[in-house]
Amino acid sequence: MAAVSVHKFADCVTCHAWSPDQSMIALCPNNDEVHIYRRSEEEKWERIHVLQKHDQIVSGIDWSSRSNKIVTVSHDRNSYVWNQETTEWVPTLVILRLNRAALCVQWSPKENKFAVGSGAKTVCVCYYEQENNWWVSKLIRKKHDSSVTSVAWHPNNIFLATTSTDGKCRVFSTFIKGVDTREAGSGPPSDSKFGEQIVQLDLSFCWAFGVKWSPSGNTLAYVGHNSMIYFVDDVGPSPLAQSVALRDLPLRDVLYLSERVLIGVGFDCNPMVFVADESGLWGFLRFLGERKAAASSAKSGSQFSEAFGKLYGQSRYGISNNSVQPSRLHGGIHENCINCIVPLNRKVGSKVTRFSTSGLDGRVVIWDLQNQEDLLDYL
Amino acid sequence: MASEHVEADNAEAIIARIEHKSRKIESLLKQNKPVEALKTALEGSPPKTKDERCKSANWIVVHRAIMAIKDVESLFFALDPEYYDILMKYLYRGLSTGDRPTCDQCLRIHEKLTEKAGLGCILRSLADTVNTV
Repeated sequence: MAAVSVHKFADCVTCHAWSPDQSMIALCPNNDEVHIYRRSEEEKWERIHVLQKHDQIVSGIDWSSRSNKIVTVSHDRNSYVWNQETTEWVPTLVILRLNRAALCVQWSPKENKFAVGSGAKTVCVCYYEQENNWWVSKLIRKKHDSSVTSVAWHPNNIFLATTSTDGKCRVFSTFIKGVDTREAGSGPPSDSKFGEQIVQLDLSFCWAFGVKWSPSGNTLAYVGHNSMIYFVDDVGPSPLAQSVALRDLPLRDVLYLSERVLIGVGFDCNPMVFVADESGLWGFLRFLGERKAAASSAKSGSQFSEAFGKLYGQSRYGISNNSVQPSRLHGGIHENCINCIVPLNRKVGSKVTRFSTSGLDGRVVIWDLQNQEDLLDYL
Repeated sequence: MASEHVEADNAEAIIARIEHKSRKIESLLKQNKPVEALKTALEGSPPKTKDERCKSANWIVVHRAIMAIKDVESLFFALDPEYYDILMKYLYRGLSTGDRPTCDQCLRIHEKLTEKAGLGCILRSLADTVNTV
């Protein structure tokens, strides 16, 4: 089995993140709180902290792996950076200067900046000012025509990729004087200023979600709500794009495991594996979950029977009490749309073989590809 | 002004092409090759142009070919996957007409096409608001 751990934390999980040693998980149970659980022996999860400061749904969490800071963003338009002092988590308010909800957040690779995508058609890049003991938010304005659904940092700590509901994927420079240093020879072109658009990719004609860079930063991938996934090589003045059409429902988020393997998650409730062959051509390989309602017709049947069960005496619950796992009935580990995928061993240079997914069914699933022999060649 | 002229010239050229296509389809149908006729109708569809006359002219041609399909099963033995997305868009255009025989035929093909091409094909045709047919 590729899924090594399944745990239902809530009715719905909007997002989750792992502590640096992966013994703790921070997640939002679809409300204004962030819950931190610690794993004790034998897969028991114990809630050790509840972070309460936001007053609307928390839409993004990221836990920095070196400095052990948690950043959260919420529909209340604010962001907090949480620092652990002795046993308590102490919040610091970051004023984002937004007039719409914040939707996603990610720490930069060096963890000296973080980026927030928002419904205000702007991206905030935040950094710490030592002399004022204060997080400052710098905005990239007037570049997006709609909400920013996802942000992703290039390994060089300067380039930031965004996707938006205007259908476009864009790459910006986020060079901030005094925070970033210009390295001669390597790295991005030295003339790029903060907020400068490096490239705009115009491949999708509808909402775009879930952008990520490959580990080297040579390729990026993002998905469209029209059941397409786009792979872009040579991001710069003359990008090379590939698009792969999916047979089934659209994806919401992606994760590169290596230069040649990508996992996509979304409305099909089952992670999808994409691989690149020797010539660099990307294609869909298979679903990761063990069982899958094969034909789409069979799936619509199961959805119907679910509604049927709810209407007539809740027979679904009767079955699940009979020690048959409910997931079996639906043919998957997740029972609803997966909207978040996070790598588990994220040390620089090491291969990612473990990752976790969470979704609208409130489950967090840990996947391990060590025993998936057909995939190891690509990793 | 200049760009409007280009657009108009372009539209005339497209309409002329569609007329040529229409004659070819009639002859294919006479030879009892409905699938070839449908392929010809779908090829060179003008989704990029904004000109509604071109879109309507091409729809008339595609409609003629769709209605000539008798055996839906064998259609999909011969129709290559690259036609699936564009055919789905025309099926939805057919369903939007509300005309009984057209809708019946479109639904019959829609069922088989969904089986073949999956829900992704439906999403691509519904989500694309730029390249409409």
